[in-house]
Amino acid sequence: MTPAGAGFSWSAIARGLPYLLEGAGLTIMISAVAMVVAAILGLALAALSQAPGRLARRLVAAYVEVFRNTPLLIQIFIVYFGLPQLGLKLSPFLSGLSALVFYAAAYNTEIFRAGLEAVPRGQLEAARSLGLSALATLRWITVPQALRISFPALGNNLVSLVKNSSLVSTIGMVELMFVANDISFNNFRTFEIYGTTAVIYVLLVLGLTRLLRVAERRLLRAA
Amino acid sequence: MTGNRARVPVVLRALLAGAVALAVVAGVAEAQSTLETVKKRGKLIAGVKTDFPPFGYVDASGKNLGFDVDVAHLFAKALFRDDNQVELVAVTSGNRIPFLQSGKIDIIIATVTVTDERKQVVEFSDPYFLSGSLLLVPKASTVKGLDDLAGKTVAVVQGAIQDRDVEQLQPKANRIKFGKVSEAVLAVKGGRAEAYAHDDVLVLTLVKENADLKAVGKPFMPRPYGIAVRKGDTDFIKWVNAELAKMKQDGTYDRLWKKFFADVESNLVKP
Repeated sequence: MTPAGAGFSWSAIARGLPYLLEGAGLTIMISAVAMVVAAILGLALAALSQAPGRLARRLVAAYVEVFRNTPLLIQIFIVYFGLPQLGLKLSPFLSGLSALVFYAAAYNTEIFRAGLEAVPRGQLEAARSLGLSALATLRWITVPQALRISFPALGNNLVSLVKNSSLVSTIGMVELMFVANDISFNNFRTFEIYGTTAVIYVLLVLGLTRLLRVAERRLLRAA
Repeated sequence: MTGNRARVPVVLRALLAGAVALAVVAGVAEAQSTLETVKKRGKLIAGVKTDFPPFGYVDASGKNLGFDVDVAHLFAKALFRDDNQVELVAVTSGNRIPFLQSGKIDIIIATVTVTDERKQVVEFSDPYFLSGSLLLVPKASTVKGLDDLAGKTVAVVQGAIQDRDVEQLQPKANRIKFGKVSEAVLAVKGGRAEAYAHDDVLVLTLVKENADLKAVGKPFMPRPYGIAVRKGDTDFIKWVNAELAKMKQDGTYDRLWKKFFADVESNLVKP
């Protein structure tokens, strides 16, 4: 006996696709904003962790351990469901975005820190002996080299970020994953809808890795 | 550069090939009646809820309890003379039918409201419960029913019928959808939604457990619950119907009703 709903249905995909693409729009938007903010925050914290004195380094390390060692889903739930009980009610978009940013920035901090520490000490000594200030050394000598070293790892983390953004579907954000659930829970075409959704994620990530490759090439040329 | 350009189609081609292969495999599965498979296996695999008191919930020790859970155990007893020969799989309103279709479970005993759309994809038993929908709101709320929800945010669970019902009955409400009952309740408690619409019996039970919430509205759109098996599995659904009829005749159904609905009974519609 064959279930009546069996067989592959192209029409289910055709009907679902416009909604999925609409959802993908929000996925792109929240991922793009989160990427930029998380990259800046990660770089700033990594630089801070190089500052003299233990306090800054310890604070940054504590932040990284807390946000890297807890599931992103818990962070999203704490921001969305938990913080309102303490009087801080962010919109669903800002709740999802801030959780994504803090999670990805924790990884970025470690990635940039590794990059900064991989710059040979001789470079810094040479810069300082040429009369550059500590800040100028950081800006002109350390950071440009650290960025290049960090780039492949950073790219990986940004790809993760795009896929992790699917978790904000749990707080009612109508992004790609949410739309996929919504459609398949109603037409029960699970394979077709999630399959199409997976293809859209692949295309999004392929687009992103392309962009990253261009950026990396520019960085190399600039150096 | 040419290498880069060729990579995209290759990835897509691989995905498509995988998709088609899986679709073919899915099409040829399902050769014999689930009833036979279950008997041979020596165990029934039933999808039940874990967040839907009093039909399917979990106590502090992690034990599954509820009306539907008891029915699953009774089915196991009828099949194997041992009510423990059942594996309970946690399902949600959204994933229960995909779980059944993909063969992860043999049967859904999880508050499935019978609708025409669902009849297209699963085989339903005779009705075993009748449920309307109510609104769960904070104690201090002035909301008295669907009419008051124009322009307000209403939580619903993804895949539950209230998603459609609220869209139809109060199109001016802004629906916010969650995957689980617990998340929708949190949304009301945290002020994320002004109300949460779900089955009357669930809302009434949640009110008993949460002193800061209340149930409002007249139960709207009452519809029956059915037990569901895979489409076309007529042997199995006949067996289910016979067992349900037995339970109603020998007083088991009434016993379960009293056990789980005694304190909300006055608000329910007995089938």
